[in-house]
Amino acid sequence: MRWIDVYLQEVERRLPEKNREDILLEIRSTIEDMLPENPTEEEVKDTLQELGDPVKLAHGYSERPMHLIGPRYYDTYISLIKMILPIAITISLITLIAENIMGSVDEGNLIMMILAIVGEGVWRVISVGVQVFFWITIIFALLERVDLGIDGEDLRSQRKKWVPEDLKKVAHVPKKRAISQWEVYGAFLWTAIWGTVYFHADHLLGIYENQGEGLTFITPALNQDVLISYWAGVVLVIGLEIALALYKLLKKEWTKGVVWFNTIQELLSIGIFVWIITNERLFQPAFIGYIADLFGVNAAQVESGLAWRIAAIFIIFAVWNIMDGWIKYKRGVRKTKLKHEFE
Amino acid sequence: MSQLLNSLLTEQRRGNLTLAVLSQLRTPQYGYSLVKRLEDSGITIEQSTLYPLLRRLEKKDLVTSSWDTSESRPRKYYVLSDYGEGVFQILKEEWKKATNELFRLLEEENNEMD
Repeated sequence: MRWIDVYLQEVERRLPEKNREDILLEIRSTIEDMLPENPTEEEVKDTLQELGDPVKLAHGYSERPMHLIGPRYYDTYISLIKMILPIAITISLITLIAENIMGSVDEGNLIMMILAIVGEGVWRVISVGVQVFFWITIIFALLERVDLGIDGEDLRSQRKKWVPEDLKKVAHVPKKRAISQWEVYGAFLWTAIWGTVYFHADHLLGIYENQGEGLTFITPALNQDVLISYWAGVVLVIGLEIALALYKLLKKEWTKGVVWFNTIQELLSIGIFVWIITNERLFQPAFIGYIADLFGVNAAQVESGLAWRIAAIFIIFAVWNIMDGWIKYKRGVRKTKLKHEFE
Repeated sequence: MSQLLNSLLTEQRRGNLTLAVLSQLRTPQYGYSLVKRLEDSGITIEQSTLYPLLRRLEKKDLVTSSWDTSESRPRKYYVLSDYGEGVFQILKEEWKKATNELFRLLEEENNEMD
């Protein structure tokens, strides 16, 4: 009988805790049913052979999926990793550079510093990669398991049966109106980059000069305290940008809703940025002085001109983005016959 | 080739097995008696497939089970519930219809070849 006990033990280890006893009892009674009175060892082995691999037998009872991420979520999982991974790496590299550019370095140390930064960079890219991979996998593995209740197709009710009328809800996406995944990805990446730079501006934006001792960071251009004081507005803009990008990802085309969201987002962002850039304390005096020397004008002229010149560039870009959205939307409407038939 | 054939056959058999099992449960059966009845009708089903299948059917309320401990060895009996009986009848009719249609289709195929 030892054969049977070991066999059952092999099954037991792999059974769901909940009804382990019941299942084991049933298997044992089946084995006994299959055996004649006073079986020989050979007969026991034959019976177990017939019952098959205990691992396979136990897995049949398992209610959990045997895979970490199943076909239902695999596509989304992979595309999200592809999107988030490069963004996370970009942020970590910008942060790394910001942490390391400080003051001047002399010639001998420059190579050492670059080597150190590259080494640290490789290490951070790896660890950020592992983190992103780990957390996204955890989230999706959980999703897979929580959702398990909806497995059989028998649960799909008749009410949800598909009818051609459902096509009205699905927008037919004309090419000219379509939003590519790359556009969304670009938006995410851009938000990540400027957001990181904004909060590390005193280390990244400024005057660099080659004074024969390698590159020297002479002075930061902006006053970080002033930048930080606007944090709520900036976080709002970042939030709106991410929300818009997600909305675009969902809609996949320039709908009226997307165009309006885009317009409002651009106007609000530009408002906040003009507000920040016209702060008199934004530019570092040392930076203003440097520029004034460079162009041979006085500091006051630089101060008044610089902010509004940068603001003008921002405004032009914002207006361009708003118009671009509307143009894409209008162009698509004209070309979509199928949509007209529906409306 | 043989691997593909295997997976196609498994797919084809899967639905039929459920119907076969349900058909035998109009009277109470325990696991091994079920296996033997199916085998006698020429249907082989691996035990590692059968028992989990019974459990799933029970979970979906198509069959009910009870332990019989009156004899020397305890046995777990399965039997169709009223709901299971209803589902079985529908499945049976569908299967008959589908096999008739499929049979005609395959016959036509034969005739064309002649």
